[in-house]
Amino acid sequence: MSQKTSAIAQPVLNKRKTGFITYIKKYWFLYMLILPGFISMVIFDYGPMYGIQLAFKKYSPKAGVWGSQWIGLDNFQRMIADPSFVRAFTNTIIINIYHLIFGFTFNVFLALMLNELKFRKYKSVMQTCVYLPYFLSWVIFSGLVQVFLESPGTADSGGLVNQLIAMAGGQPIDFLKRPELFRGILVISSIIKTSGYSTIVYLAAIAGIDPALYESAAIDGANRKDALIHITFPRILPSVVIMLILQLAGLFLSNFDQVYNLYNNYVLSTGDVLSTYIYRISLGGGGTDFELSTAMNLIMNLMGLVVVGITNKYVSKLDVQGIF
Amino acid sequence: MMEKTQESHGRVSMLQRLGFNFYDVFVFLFVTIFALLCVYPMWYVLVASVTPYSEFVKGGLMLWPSGGVDLQYYRAIFSTRSFINSMWISASKTVLSTVSSVLVTAAMAYGVSKTHVKGMKVVNALVVFNLFFSGGLIPQYMLYKDLGLIRSYWVMVLPGMLNITYFIIMRNYYSYSIPKSLEEAALLDGCTEVGTFFRVVTPISRSMLAAIALFIAVINWNDYYSYMMFIGNKTNLQPFAWILRRMLVDQTMMNQVRKGAMSLGSQPPPPMALRMSTIICAMLPIMCVYPFLQRYFTSGITLGAVKE
Repeated sequence: MSQKTSAIAQPVLNKRKTGFITYIKKYWFLYMLILPGFISMVIFDYGPMYGIQLAFKKYSPKAGVWGSQWIGLDNFQRMIADPSFVRAFTNTIIINIYHLIFGFTFNVFLALMLNELKFRKYKSVMQTCVYLPYFLSWVIFSGLVQVFLESPGTADSGGLVNQLIAMAGGQPIDFLKRPELFRGILVISSIIKTSGYSTIVYLAAIAGIDPALYESAAIDGANRKDALIHITFPRILPSVVIMLILQLAGLFLSNFDQVYNLYNNYVLSTGDVLSTYIYRISLGGGGTDFELSTAMNLIMNLMGLVVVGITNKYVSKLDVQGIF
Repeated sequence: MMEKTQESHGRVSMLQRLGFNFYDVFVFLFVTIFALLCVYPMWYVLVASVTPYSEFVKGGLMLWPSGGVDLQYYRAIFSTRSFINSMWISASKTVLSTVSSVLVTAAMAYGVSKTHVKGMKVVNALVVFNLFFSGGLIPQYMLYKDLGLIRSYWVMVLPGMLNITYFIIMRNYYSYSIPKSLEEAALLDGCTEVGTFFRVVTPISRSMLAAIALFIAVINWNDYYSYMMFIGNKTNLQPFAWILRRMLVDQTMMNQVRKGAMSLGSQPPPPMALRMSTIICAMLPIMCVYPFLQRYFTSGITLGAVKE
């Protein structure tokens, strides 16, 4: 006991002479703490990586992953020649850009508007409302979308929107099966589900602004709109930039959960993204092209890694903590 | 202050005297309409799911349950065996994964937050690297097959034990939000590392742990992915989220439930009504923990996001 205490009290003195055993004796508890997580990481996060070799192999179930035959870059050539892959790739990027233009901007705007609400009580009620959808899963949310947008069927009069259209005397619209509407549905449903929650980061940044700034601005004759543009917005700009960079880092990632639960065969042309395509050709939809799926995953991962590497550099240049 | 500025422009209406102007009205309307968009769908589904058949078929905005509350659709879905079973699967899986995940992740995050200890920085980099690079779906599948986890209940629990996102949040919390002096004082006073962790650090971080446990619980309750990918067709292991998905897209499942409802003695319920009641059942547990979540998560998500 006393030995341990003195070792902690004079770490610098002991540092050089400390052998491996003494070091472990001193910190064994910390190593014990990380052990379960470490084992879990090695098995479940790094364990699967041996399967990446499938990207360069022709998989035969009998021979298994290790025994299958090497075929070089054939899978990658097949991937590039596959029109469905190209379509999924383009869709992924286009949808992400839509999310960036509409969703991201909306998040910032919503945060500013929430902050401008005058009554504190009302503001917190509003916050409670807008954060809520974030916690529902995409399965539930796709159910809600269906309840609202479905076209009239044989057994019922369709979703609420189509009921209203019918009441107004219009023709029902089959929202969920129109390829040209699908990306819009993705963006809007994602705004409703996640925008409220995304404002938390900005509202936290706004909360950190010195109130004296607003007071002196008001004395100088600025109204609330001026204060918003010249004080609040510049102050949250660093957070906005970080969130923007993080979102850019996900340019090649697609939201499997959302797309899988909302899409159907009618909207594949505009809605099929990489993650859903990878799933369909390997485990879902009767496909068993394990090699192609692995190859696509590998390419996506590598591209993502490059983008994240670049963006993390920029994030660390700003005065905030990078991810690493 | 503002009124003065307005007065200098020479146009003061009644509303402006009260402290309102066009700007405030815009802000108020914008936020209110968006908030309604967020909660009305849930309210609509809740009201519609308890509306009696005769009123339900009329449609409309369903702002309030007209014609009384009728739970026939709930009776219909819960007379189907797979519903009760899936509730059990989801609940047990949620409890098991949440407890294991919080314990494993928090312990590791605390250890790794001690960056002066040899190896911790490397371990940290190894964990975070996984956020951006993983084997992918098929390699995962292959590994689980080798481990005998395919079609087993445990594939829904074990692989998620270390949650990387919350690992980062917890690590930042331990590094930045717990005063260093507190731990140092405890150590100097003769408290061991073990004692410091259990008697100083853990009590302080209790509310952070509770918040993260709730977050992880919600994720686990919502999870259908692990079932869909790695179990697939074992109906006795279906989580509730998967049942809901089947109710939304699987016509055979829907017909089965409707047939079951008919034997209860009513006309076949409209598919939409059955979907709505299933949605409400899936939402209910989340709604129950939401007040607690909300109390914590504003601080939870920003933990460690801002350097002090």
